[in-house]
Amino acid sequence: MQMAWKEVKKSKMKFLILGSIIFLVSFLTFIISGLANGLSEDNAALIKNVPNGQFYLNEDAKQTYNLSKIDVDQQDKLLADYKGATALSIQMGFVNDADDKQHSVAFVTSTDSELFPNVKDNEVVLDASLKDDGIKVGDVLTNNQFSGAFKVAGFAEKQTYSHAPVAFISMKNYQEIYRVMEMQTVFIPGSDSPDSVKGLESFNNKEFLNTIPSYGAEQMSLNMIIWFLVVISGMLFAIFFYMMNVQKIGLYGILKAIGVKTSSLFSMMWYQMLLITVVSLVLSVGLSQLFSLVAPAGMPFSLPIETTLLLSVVFLVIGFIGATISGFQIKKVEPLQAIQQGEM
Amino acid sequence: MAIFTIDDVEKTFKSGDVSEKILKGVDLELNEGEITALVGPSGSGKSTILTIAAGLQKASGGQVLFEGHDMTQMSQEEIRKIRSSEFGFVFQSSHLVPFLTVEDQLLLMLDVAETKLNKKQQKQEVAQVLELVGMAHRKEAYPSSLSGGEKQRVAIARAIIHKPKMLFADEPTASLDSKRSKEVMEIIRNLTKTLKITTLMVTHDEEMLPYADRIVTMKDGLID
Ligand SMILES: Nc1ncnc2c1ncn2[C@@H]1O[C@H](COP(=O)(O)OP(=O)(O)O)[C@@H](O)[C@H]1O
Ligand SMILES: [Mg+2]
Repeated sequence: MQMAWKEVKKSKMKFLILGSIIFLVSFLTFIISGLANGLSEDNAALIKNVPNGQFYLNEDAKQTYNLSKIDVDQQDKLLADYKGATALSIQMGFVNDADDKQHSVAFVTSTDSELFPNVKDNEVVLDASLKDDGIKVGDVLTNNQFSGAFKVAGFAEKQTYSHAPVAFISMKNYQEIYRVMEMQTVFIPGSDSPDSVKGLESFNNKEFLNTIPSYGAEQMSLNMIIWFLVVISGMLFAIFFYMMNVQKIGLYGILKAIGVKTSSLFSMMWYQMLLITVVSLVLSVGLSQLFSLVAPAGMPFSLPIETTLLLSVVFLVIGFIGATISGFQIKKVEPLQAIQQGEM
Repeated sequence: MAIFTIDDVEKTFKSGDVSEKILKGVDLELNEGEITALVGPSGSGKSTILTIAAGLQKASGGQVLFEGHDMTQMSQEEIRKIRSSEFGFVFQSSHLVPFLTVEDQLLLMLDVAETKLNKKQQKQEVAQVLELVGMAHRKEAYPSSLSGGEKQRVAIARAIIHKPKMLFADEPTASLDSKRSKEVMEIIRNLTKTLKITTLMVTHDEEMLPYADRIVTMKDGLID
């Protein structure tokens, strides 16, 4: 569509304004989505790092992992029946370092597994973020519920739960601290269609994440903001194209009078919408990726390119719908009206 | 032989309960290659019959025959096709596309009319026609930088570049002074004669009448 491009060239300012609005809104959306995702990782990297599978909780636990207890015999049977299955437990707690400084952690213990570090009794493997608090390999940590002491055996990358760094400990130590023999959950990797197990309820990874109380609320607010922005930008599109179309009613009338097809007028509008949106999105995708490289270390920010591309497609679709709805007035334009209105 | 026949055309405008019959059975035949001037008092229905003939609005009754085909029975799409390839229009104001150069306005018309010319032939055609209307030197200009007379010349060029069979002109010189008006009429006459275009032109300027082959007067919704 040459005519469409020529209008963009001639009315640079108008299209520049539209383009910058799309750029700003999409950039804002990407940044917030990066924060949402960053917070989600910060909150629950432990679970997000686990491959797809099913988490089994006790039916009586009301979908709350720390109320769940799996019968020991049943657990043994599941671990024997399913390759790669792991029983695990998570509890929030504290460790004290040599200076008696308290660090909040999520204690995690599991049966032998490739998914989590295997820790010897009286040792602990910590999330690497605790290095920033001055903790080193070989340090000794204590917990007031625990008779012994933990020697720091090593660090694991990106293992957080409920915004706290994870502390992997042995089952024996865990059982002493929390005074329970049973584990909370059994994880069975890979099964898309979960086998039902008597007395247990299964959750896929995503469903399990939502059983973390803070996780669901946090992600819901952020996702709300993201979708609001998407909807608002759709409206902006519609309003902007509407105003542009209103300005051009006379022109559309004349073009129709000389025999231009209504469909060509729509293509003209679509072409312009596509051009402006794609250019703006390329810029905001680029800039948001750049931002994710330079984001401050303390800021939970994670923006996979797939997410931005997915949102970009949503923006394109929304823009298309907005422009098309506002374009219905093109259909209604009577050529005669425009001619009788005189000079545009 | 008449190429265009308006037969007992009526037009009634309704607004609310009030309906007003503006055309009361207009009969008019246009002969091939002739310029017919339509004159008459303001409000007598000249623009209405011209726009009905041009397929820009529908008649309430009667027939409009172009080359023997009744346009009142055609679909919107059929009429659009005829308008784009067989008709040309000039109005009181030029109605040029504000963001296209003079040259592009004409290239657009060639595209719309679906002429079977390649890009190079189209450009040659445009250059020739711009020469004929005396606007070749302004082909890169945008409408906003043209004077009223220049715009009208471009509008005429756009109306005839695709070699239509019919030209409809509604007071094409009304916005111009006497000298410019005569120049524009000169151009219309030369072009339509060279290209054998049949012309229906509304005017209320006596000075334009010598350029017509035939003068028809309208009064009160009827041909006098
Ligand atoms: N769309 C319309 N709706 C209602 N009345 C109209 C419309 N168009 C024209 N008229 C009326 O029809 C009459 C003839 O108008 P017109 O054909 O423009 O006259 P002329 O061109 O001879 O001055 C006028 O009284 C005008 O008010
Ligand atoms: Mg009139």
